[in-house]
Amino acid sequence: MGVKKKKTPLKEQGKKWFIAPAITWLLLFTLAPLIYTVYLSFHGSRFLKVTRFVGIKNFVTVLTDYRFWGAFRVTIIFVLGGLVLSVGLGLLFALLFNRQIRGVQVFRTLSTMPLFTAPVALGYIFMIIFYENGGPINNFLTMVISKQVPWLSNPSWAVFSVLIADTWQWTPFAFLVLLASLQAVPKDLYEAASLESASSWNIFKHITFPLISPAMGTVIILRIVEAFKVFDLPFALTNGGPGLATRTLTFNVYTNGLRDQNLGTASATAIVLLVIVLIVSILFFKRYGSNYE
Amino acid sequence: MRKRRGKTIVNIILWVIVAIVTVWMLFPFYWAVITSIKKPADVFRLSFIPGVQFDPTLDNWKSEFQLRGKEITRAMGNSLAIGIGAAFIALGVGTLAGYGLARFRYHGWSNKSISMWILSQRFLPPAATVIPFFLIFKNIGLIDNVIALILVNATFTIPFAVLILRDAFKELPEEIEESALVDGCSRFQAFFRMALPLAAPALVSAGIICFSFAWNEFLFAFIMSYSKAAPMTVIIAGTQDTQGIQFWYVATRMLLAIVPPAVLALTVQKYIVRGLTFGAVKG
Repeated sequence: MGVKKKKTPLKEQGKKWFIAPAITWLLLFTLAPLIYTVYLSFHGSRFLKVTRFVGIKNFVTVLTDYRFWGAFRVTIIFVLGGLVLSVGLGLLFALLFNRQIRGVQVFRTLSTMPLFTAPVALGYIFMIIFYENGGPINNFLTMVISKQVPWLSNPSWAVFSVLIADTWQWTPFAFLVLLASLQAVPKDLYEAASLESASSWNIFKHITFPLISPAMGTVIILRIVEAFKVFDLPFALTNGGPGLATRTLTFNVYTNGLRDQNLGTASATAIVLLVIVLIVSILFFKRYGSNYE
Repeated sequence: MRKRRGKTIVNIILWVIVAIVTVWMLFPFYWAVITSIKKPADVFRLSFIPGVQFDPTLDNWKSEFQLRGKEITRAMGNSLAIGIGAAFIALGVGTLAGYGLARFRYHGWSNKSISMWILSQRFLPPAATVIPFFLIFKNIGLIDNVIALILVNATFTIPFAVLILRDAFKELPEEIEESALVDGCSRFQAFFRMALPLAAPALVSAGIICFSFAWNEFLFAFIMSYSKAAPMTVIIAGTQDTQGIQFWYVATRMLLAIVPPAVLALTVQKYIVRGLTFGAVKG
């Protein structure tokens, strides 16, 4: 703040009418339903009708349910695994392709496509690819090492398969954002550094990394927040299975609340998820909030 | 001389990496395409090149449209309506807010807190609001209605519109609008007649991003529509149960669902990075 240069005073008449619609819309369609979810989480329900106040009973039910902790574990695996794989690969490609070579532009353009692919459709396509008896990967493996992998029928492999599909979709996000921030690093900084004959690792550590770290922070938080929301991909690819192996917290909200019609515990699950995301987001905004000014 | 040769080698290695990564990136699309033009007997065999390794056929596409043509046309129509409707609302609300945040200083709530408040929508897990939306829309009879899906998707995409346009307006010179104000235009007229046309490229890009996200949304669509208003994402989700492992049909339907946003995405290159990071990183 503070050092903003003083602008010529503008007519500021009616300025509140410019932001009023957006604020009202989000109050109505975000905050109001959210308060309703909190309300539901403290109430019992029967046949999609709210019955009576039950205190923290729903939360106790949820937090002592092994299915909640199973989904919690799966969600955390997707968050951390997705983060490491997509941001790691994204950074690697961004560093590799941060130079003038032919084809990079085409590559950049193509890499926007995974980001705009409907995750639910992607899940089904990967189901075809990971199909165990006659899918391309297993056919290939049979040919080369005469072994097959239980991509979707083994619980651990199923988690990994979802992670692969997720990484396919999100690596381009990290790549594009980090590449953009790398290209914004002034060239003469590198020139100065190479005159001083600094090693490339030192150049990365002392010049590149500090300059791209705000972009890195943004990528990481947006990636984390999206990973906490994951539902479509396991729904399509594994339908949460085998067993409960790929059920995420959002998946539990869906099965609990909308399939089994248990509004109270589903809302309590949603609130727990919200609190986790809230804590992560607050930590982020403290650190990187100024990027959004 | 030696340095130059070293450079060539580095470039060749990079090229190989580019090629591998491109194959990896395009493989799911490619596999869906060739699965959709394979005869059922060829689907479970490992073959890549149509015409050489297997005989391509359009039978799957034909029978898909004969058997489920009506359902697919309706679903495409719904997806279009949801995408366009949501993008329209998000842009309407978003350009105003974006302009406000770019041109004025707000008090009480600072510009930064307003931006954060709008951005926080994207941080909210959809699971946290899905049950109330279901109950409310059920009570007012908007379940299986496209309007309900337009409203929720507009909500999800408003942050894109606001933050992309805020940055676009910030980059426009204020002088034009100021002189319009001096000439007696109202603030709104200055915004609408001077600033908005200049922000047209950002407007179109933001619209495409909002459209694509609304088109791809699944959780809410799945819960709030089952037949009349079901968009493509919901129609394809039924594929597995009704068709078993008839992957050739699965593939045709996935392609129909994927292509519109994926192709539109190719046109928003300039705004993609700032759009997806809500202006935190300028591409």
